[in-house]
Amino acid sequence: MDSKKWIITFFATIVFIGAGIIGFNFFVDPYGVFDNIGIEWPSYEMTMNPRAAKITYLKDHHEEYDSYIIGCSSTSSFPTEQLNEYFDASFYNMIMYGADTLDTEQTARYLIENYEVKNLIINIYLDNAVEYDWTRDSLSYQMSPEVSGENPLGFYSKYLFLDPRVSLKKIKDLRQDTYLQQGFDVFNAETGAYDKKVRDAEHIGNMEEYLAAYPAFVNYPTVEKSIDEEAVAGTLKSIAAIRDLCEQKGIRFMVVCAPVYQEYLSYFDWDAVEDFYTRLASVTPYWDFSMSSVSCEPRYFYDETHFRNCVGKMALARIAGDDSVYIPEDFGVYVTPDNAEEHFREAKQAVALDAEENTADVPVLMYHHIDEQGDDSAIITPELFEQQIAALKEAGYTAVMPDDLLAYVNEGAELPDKPVVITFDDGYLSNYEYAYPILKQYGMCATIFVIGSTVGNTEHYKDTEYPITPHFSFEQAQEMIDSGVISIQSHTYDMHQWADYESGRARQNILRWEDESEEDYRKALTEDCEKERQAILDNTTESSVHVLAYPGGANDILAQETLQENGFDVTFTITPGCNTLVRGIPQSLIGMKRYNICESVSVDQVLEWVSAARG
Amino acid sequence: MKEQLMQILTECCPDIDFETEVALIDDGILESLDIVMIVSEIKDVLDVEITVDDLVPENFNSVDQILALVEARKS
Amino acid sequence: MAFTSLSFLILVAITVVVYYVFPKKLQWAVLLAASLAFYCIGGGKTVLYVFYTATTVYAAGLLLGYFNGKKDQVPKEQRKAVMEQYKKYRQLVVLFTCLANFVLLYILKYWNFTAELFQPLVDRFFHGAQIPLSSLLLPLGVSFFMFQSVGYVIDVYRGKYPPERNYLKLLLYVCFFPQMVQGPISRFHELAPQLYAQRKLDYTNLKYGIQLAMWGYFKKIVIADRAAVVVNTVMDNPWSYSGSMIAFGVLFYCIQLYGDFSGGIDITRGVARLFGIDLAENFQRPLFSVSLADFWRRWHITLGAWMRDYLFYPLALSKPFGKLGKITRKKIGGKLGKIIPTSLATFIIYFVIGIWHGANCRYIAFGFWNGSIITMSLLLEGKYSAIKKKLHINDKAAWFRAFQIMRTCFIVFLGRYITRAPRFLTAIWMIKETFLHPVLPNLWDGTILTLGLGIMDYVVILLSVMVMLAAEWYQEKHGVIREALEKQGFLVQWLAILIPLLVLLCFGILRSDTISSEFIYKQF
Repeated sequence: MDSKKWIITFFATIVFIGAGIIGFNFFVDPYGVFDNIGIEWPSYEMTMNPRAAKITYLKDHHEEYDSYIIGCSSTSSFPTEQLNEYFDASFYNMIMYGADTLDTEQTARYLIENYEVKNLIINIYLDNAVEYDWTRDSLSYQMSPEVSGENPLGFYSKYLFLDPRVSLKKIKDLRQDTYLQQGFDVFNAETGAYDKKVRDAEHIGNMEEYLAAYPAFVNYPTVEKSIDEEAVAGTLKSIAAIRDLCEQKGIRFMVVCAPVYQEYLSYFDWDAVEDFYTRLASVTPYWDFSMSSVSCEPRYFYDETHFRNCVGKMALARIAGDDSVYIPEDFGVYVTPDNAEEHFREAKQAVALDAEENTADVPVLMYHHIDEQGDDSAIITPELFEQQIAALKEAGYTAVMPDDLLAYVNEGAELPDKPVVITFDDGYLSNYEYAYPILKQYGMCATIFVIGSTVGNTEHYKDTEYPITPHFSFEQAQEMIDSGVISIQSHTYDMHQWADYESGRARQNILRWEDESEEDYRKALTEDCEKERQAILDNTTESSVHVLAYPGGANDILAQETLQENGFDVTFTITPGCNTLVRGIPQSLIGMKRYNICESVSVDQVLEWVSAARG
Repeated sequence: MKEQLMQILTECCPDIDFETEVALIDDGILESLDIVMIVSEIKDVLDVEITVDDLVPENFNSVDQILALVEARKS
Repeated sequence: MAFTSLSFLILVAITVVVYYVFPKKLQWAVLLAASLAFYCIGGGKTVLYVFYTATTVYAAGLLLGYFNGKKDQVPKEQRKAVMEQYKKYRQLVVLFTCLANFVLLYILKYWNFTAELFQPLVDRFFHGAQIPLSSLLLPLGVSFFMFQSVGYVIDVYRGKYPPERNYLKLLLYVCFFPQMVQGPISRFHELAPQLYAQRKLDYTNLKYGIQLAMWGYFKKIVIADRAAVVVNTVMDNPWSYSGSMIAFGVLFYCIQLYGDFSGGIDITRGVARLFGIDLAENFQRPLFSVSLADFWRRWHITLGAWMRDYLFYPLALSKPFGKLGKITRKKIGGKLGKIIPTSLATFIIYFVIGIWHGANCRYIAFGFWNGSIITMSLLLEGKYSAIKKKLHINDKAAWFRAFQIMRTCFIVFLGRYITRAPRFLTAIWMIKETFLHPVLPNLWDGTILTLGLGIMDYVVILLSVMVMLAAEWYQEKHGVIREALEKQGFLVQWLAILIPLLVLLCFGILRSDTISSEFIYKQF
């Protein structure tokens, strides 16, 4: 071809390549900036840029929601479920990374002007008094032009001419997506809040262990922050503007100051803080959760800046006046111009709750089979068993049930001074024959975890010829339940199989098989939970099946999370140790530790173990 | 004159075929060092002074060109 | 303004459009405007140095023209005498111009270095006295444009051509923007006519220019910038690496240096070609050099040529050297005696080339290194030929040539230690380490993956270098590639556009967040 043609071809090729990149970026849209064409993955896109992706999401879904909560990322921890319940509404969580007040105002305005809004809650924290309009260049922080009023051309061209490797990454991540949340999709698209399924399935226990796992609370980063008058003025102006807009449109408007960790508060000059909060009160009354004993308890936080969902639940209960939920006394004050001064005087002195007040150490004992021939790590003789029970009784221990633990953690109920939880695994007939009478005699109670498929089985393993240790039947179980001494709970329906005796592939524990898909696994586990529940509830008067002991103690986050979805809120492992229950933190009831008690464990040993709790 | 010149050239650079080459500079056969050697020999033996200004390809590409230069400078 | 920056591309694009739209008589003015813009944006006030050099050589040129013209005013027989009469004045003009420029160059580039060198001496005699250090910024390309300009003056002195009477046109010659970063150093009679020529829009020029520039960008961004990662890692902390790793780093430095420099020259020539201007080549397949002297005729060609024409010849043929030659011829006699003055001149030249590169001990060492080896080989040439005869070695044999090439590569390779080591003494240590503690397994046990590049990167470098060598091999054998390309069908030619663009995009531009584009020769 001649040179002129060459030149034209050359530039045409460049345009062609450019168009290819633009087209690719538009179609893949990793930041969720372009309307929903191409590869849609809202939770991924929200992770990349919550501001833009959520607006795009709402374009298609806004009719499902009628209320919004807006703020920085910690705002996520006001659980949508509770919001919807207490406000009788359908909330969408508009959290954005590092939201400043201008972002909040613009978002509020956009939502009010375009969609139906019944309730609007905004979360204000002290950083809003440091910087009113924080400009950031990162593509993860750009606000949609319809909301910010900025030039759309500049906005969209940034994402059209994106480095195509970012789009490529989205495709790669799509292949690796799992049910449980990973680093690239931390949002739950339907609620707009962070998906904390994984974090909320972690066991939480004593302070030492917790601080070892999260050293940030020990080495809290030291930063200098100072409250700026301009920022304060801007923030108050924006809040007033939103307030007025809501009033105009008849929208219920609420301002909250979310819980923050005590060290964060120490960054600021107290007088400036007090000044800011007082002035805020004169713009609008608000709920202040930021300074209380909750701020002093690291276990109430996922990390240095985000409080836990369970704390959010407490906060919402406080707002709604729900007494059935445990709430620390000094947590949550409705601040008005009248009580502002007094509130801050008190808040200044916030200290952590006494460990005695908000935690309880609870040891759990695990038994299996009772037999005269006690020569196995799962067998104990009736004599020794009685001795142990008698010794516990004499030492002043009170046996408690999982429901008592739940009431302590969630409802603020009290536990006896020296609590102990007695458990039996597998549901052997010997429990009925020996343990039940003894417990009854000494006025103790226990929980027995039955394997649904073996209940009543006295001879053989399923339909094989292999002999098994006899299990009690549902009639016998009913008798025990009637007496109030025993609660029957789950050891799975049929996920504690003996591999040698199974014809097909055995489920020896509750874990997913390596080559099993997550979907199949969750389906299988859910089915098992349903079967177990049905078996127990249909055949006894047990009120609810919500406690589970892991077969063989094997558990992982996926299993735990699936169980939680299926209503199991108390679970036990076989790891020895004591448990620290923390009021308000349901995670202290999952993955609880138990001491294995058998013939080789002396009475003194048992007493030592249970008393170490209080030590 | 030509024989003396040829003798100088072949003594300086025995590997070069001065009879036939006509692009001694252009083809890089004669290098700057060679040129300096040749020039100083010419000064020494033929008592002809060749200056820097003369060191251009047109004067050194072939024996005949060098010869012409020498004769021009002699006068 | 870096060649790899968007602003440079925009500047070139605008200049090309304006150049061909402007009335032909003023096209050179467009180039001048672009050059000044380029310099001001990149260097700000340092553009004043350009004006300074341009002014000094302009004035010198005119003066020399005036003196030269004297001989035309008298009849033929008296010309020589007249020239003799004015010779002193003419020499003074040249001397003054050289001083005016090179002294400034010395102050800008070498003052601080020599000040620090002499500080201890000053401390001895004048306690507390501090030799003042200069905080002057080094103007872009000063080592290039000053030499180019002084060359013009000397050419005028030699009567090669009349001086340029248009100040602005001469200014363009001094600061033509594609050359400002790293040369080449052009000659007035070759470059100026091209600069001032009037041109129609010729798509072939655009095409060749774009092709050449793309090739240059390929070498620079895909090869050199990539290799630089390894080089920087190793050279920042050579003490934590074994001998073989150090050698690996130096090898990659050679790759980086060649890719960066020759790539930059290709971009320079490509951009100039857009305006129909053909700049001198600066590289001629240096990998195939048979000796160190041959290497310097293939690497940075225009610098070597400049030194040869304006320093070496005048020096070697000067009276003092002539006298020295007489003495050595008598005292030592034979071939050796004849070579000594030339060898001395050679040594000086390579020494100057060494320090031209920078104000640092290592460049002095570099100068010594090059100078000594070349001088030695000169002085020993006689003995060397004798050995070859005895062993019946045929000079022209292929294997001997291969041996020479490898030997040269090795010598050049060692020289790179000197120029790239963090400090001069470290270079000595590094060379020792390479031979004494190589720890060869490091080359294949995965250590090379800890230097900042992944497997993919190494593959890219390997393939790219192979492509580069293949292209150069082809050029050595068959001449220009693009002509062969033009004979192919549309598909092949289109692929020859698409593939380089994609390569540049995927392995070049999109990597630029992890690689920095440094032009090594930029601050000369």
